[in-house]
Amino acid sequence: MSGFSAGGSQLDTSWFLLLAAVLFILGTIGVLVRRNPLVILICIELMLNAANLTLVAFSRQLQNYEGQLFALMSMTVAAAEAVVGLAILVDIFRHRDAEDIDDLSELKG
Amino acid sequence: MSASTVALLILLFPAAGAILLAGRGWRLPRIVTVIVGPAVVWGSFVATLVLFSNKASGDFTYWTWIKSGSFEVPFNLLVDNLSIFMCLVITGVGGLIVTYAVGYMEKEDDPSYARFFTYMDVFVFSMLLLVLAGNFIFLIIGWALVGLSSYFLIGFWYHRRSAVLAARKAFVMNVIGDVGMILGTFVLFVTFHATTYKGVFLGIHGDTTSLELAAFLLLVGAVAKSAQIPLHTWLPDAMEGPTPVSALIHAATMVTAGVYLVGRMHPIYDLAVYAHGAVAIVGAVTALFAATIAIVQTDIKRVLAYSTMSQIGYMFLAVGIGAYTAGFFHLLSHAFFKALLFMAAGNVIHAMHDEQDMRKYGGLLTQLPRTSWSFLIGSLSLVGVIPFVGFFSKEQILGSAFSKPDASLALAVWVFGFVTALVTGFYTGRMWWMSFAGKPSPQRPVEHPHEAPPVMLVPVLILAVLATIGGFIQTRALGFGPHLVDDFLQAAAGKQSWEGGASEVIATLVTMIVATVLFIAAYRIYIQHAWKPWSAVVPWAQRLLERKYYFDEIYDAVFVRTMDGLARVGLRNVELPIIDGVVEGTGVFAEGAAHNLSLTQSGYFRNYVLVFVAGAVVVAFLLLARVGS
Amino acid sequence: MVALSVLFLLLSAQFVFVAQVIVYAGAVMVLFLFVIALMGPAKEIGRSRLRFQTSLSALFVLALFGLLWAMLQGVQYRQPEQTDLNAFGTVQWIGVYLFTNYLYPFELTSILLLVAAIGAIYLSRKEGDER
Repeated sequence: MSGFSAGGSQLDTSWFLLLAAVLFILGTIGVLVRRNPLVILICIELMLNAANLTLVAFSRQLQNYEGQLFALMSMTVAAAEAVVGLAILVDIFRHRDAEDIDDLSELKG
Repeated sequence: MSASTVALLILLFPAAGAILLAGRGWRLPRIVTVIVGPAVVWGSFVATLVLFSNKASGDFTYWTWIKSGSFEVPFNLLVDNLSIFMCLVITGVGGLIVTYAVGYMEKEDDPSYARFFTYMDVFVFSMLLLVLAGNFIFLIIGWALVGLSSYFLIGFWYHRRSAVLAARKAFVMNVIGDVGMILGTFVLFVTFHATTYKGVFLGIHGDTTSLELAAFLLLVGAVAKSAQIPLHTWLPDAMEGPTPVSALIHAATMVTAGVYLVGRMHPIYDLAVYAHGAVAIVGAVTALFAATIAIVQTDIKRVLAYSTMSQIGYMFLAVGIGAYTAGFFHLLSHAFFKALLFMAAGNVIHAMHDEQDMRKYGGLLTQLPRTSWSFLIGSLSLVGVIPFVGFFSKEQILGSAFSKPDASLALAVWVFGFVTALVTGFYTGRMWWMSFAGKPSPQRPVEHPHEAPPVMLVPVLILAVLATIGGFIQTRALGFGPHLVDDFLQAAAGKQSWEGGASEVIATLVTMIVATVLFIAAYRIYIQHAWKPWSAVVPWAQRLLERKYYFDEIYDAVFVRTMDGLARVGLRNVELPIIDGVVEGTGVFAEGAAHNLSLTQSGYFRNYVLVFVAGAVVVAFLLLARVGS
Repeated sequence: MVALSVLFLLLSAQFVFVAQVIVYAGAVMVLFLFVIALMGPAKEIGRSRLRFQTSLSALFVLALFGLLWAMLQGVQYRQPEQTDLNAFGTVQWIGVYLFTNYLYPFELTSILLLVAAIGAIYLSRKEGDER
């Protein structure tokens, strides 16, 4: 872990980036492996948050506003996307049992 | 109007007629076709007369068609006595025949009627182009177009399978000749680097190898077009076409193209002695061969077809031994009496409601007097009886052969010619007696036939008159008297280098007498039944002749079946697996690929995400590699 | 979410911290809870139909992690421009930039939210509803 211990405190930007990477990976695993649509949506939110963290970390590192601004935008978009995604999910759930996302494969072929 | 313009007009008249009739003729009232069809041919005739009377001559170039390095092909017309002579024959006799056809073809419906005259005008145009062309390329163009018109006209009644087959056969054999012509032109171009007649003829010197080769190749073309052995089998079948077609194309003009070719190329043939000799041999053999087959034919048009083959053999014989002007004189006289015979036969066929079998005729003399007498004039001309034109032309040829001083070949061909003349007398007599004399056959389709209408009768009568008096322009066969044709053609077609003497005259008279005897002998055999017909005496000969010496069978076995087999092999091994395989295979492959690719559309969300992640890995890797380097 | 917001605070991003708490922890997670309440807890019954999914995804994810790790090694941070450290991350500070340089994205984002809201309403109406 050479990049992390070079003269740094716990507030070194590298730690934050590492955390963000781990969160992102966890989110990805969740999306790939879990079969419940709701869980998949939550994992997507997780990935988005990880990206936000990276953005803000760099914003502080580089001392400019753009990272935070963009993180704000990203948050907004994530919220909108969560809303619509959940609405679709609820709609599907009304007609059939949405336990397994592999059931929703009508776009086959 | 200058000669060059008039010469072009000769060509333009029939071309314009053909275009008009092809484009609009079938929609306009019939009277338009009736007028335009023959009129353009007569227009060309008038133009030719203008050139004739002005004694025009010249090599007129109108524009340059191809110019590529040393290969230059101008569109030029060579107007000299030979081409004027040929044009007079084509347009004069052609005009009479096309006029005759107005009446003969009247039973056709309007579109077919216009189509017929379109084709006839196309033919006249092509033939005129052939004889007027001043270079080899346009000669070949005219040559090919004439073959094409012949195909159209033979197969005119295309609903008839036999007609279509005959047209195809004629065309294929003509193409063989065309190939020979083209190869001959290539040889000449390679040797002389010129395509015009002037260019080639001026360059001729002593080296004969390439000349011999070219002459032989050109001979192939002549043989095909003039239906000489071995490319003769198409001519009898060509009688499937309407009778005016047989008269024009297969008697008076197209089949004489070969004779014209040898005459025009006489500077080459004078030096290429082997090819020259071949011309004479081919002619002599064909003459006798065809005459013997004519003895057994029962269809009146077939008799005339084989007779044409035989007479053209005479012309080939003549030009082959160097008697060019004699050959051309016979061309002229043959045009007269053969067209006469065909058209008179057409009158008979017309009167007998399209019956062509002579055995069903008989006794027409009293019922169709004018046609019968015209036919008799034509027949006697064919046999070569004084005072008809056929005597003078044929006997001049035989006389030249008999007395040519320096070649034994000439004597040999004379023997052939002599025997042929005798056989000609016989089959002609048989033809005339069977059709016109004796009692009417019980199988007659029409009890009281009536004469042809004037439009069909008048051309026949005109030709009968010409056949009677035409001989007197050249009576060299008798050893004295005018020789207008010789004088006219001398410059263009080569000199007659020897004069006829007493022995030739005696030989000619002997020929005539014996032939006439045989003519009458036919009467005894077929009408009076005094002697047994020779078919009873030598039945194997009868069979041989009826099968035309088995030429058709041999060709079929050797050539047709081979090509058929090759085509079949090609179909099975090349066309189906390879070509069809490639074409269809592309389609099958595309389908299979699409099918396989569609498997990636699994519809499973998680699969798609996996693909995203994989892509992200790749991008990250690339970014890293970029940054690293 | 809350932990993350605290982390934001550690990074001197005050406004983002507040926004995270309100939006994510407050709104989005609550929304998820409601849907879970509606649909019942997550169950995954039966075997997965995609046989190679797990193994392949493990492979790719490990690869991705490795790459991310490699990217974090030896990162050279560049010198930042001088800013007013007291105002860094404050609401005013963000607001200034939001309403001047980034006004256009700001407005667009609000339209996006509007569209999402309409979409959600439409999608969740009962069947047979004419409204």
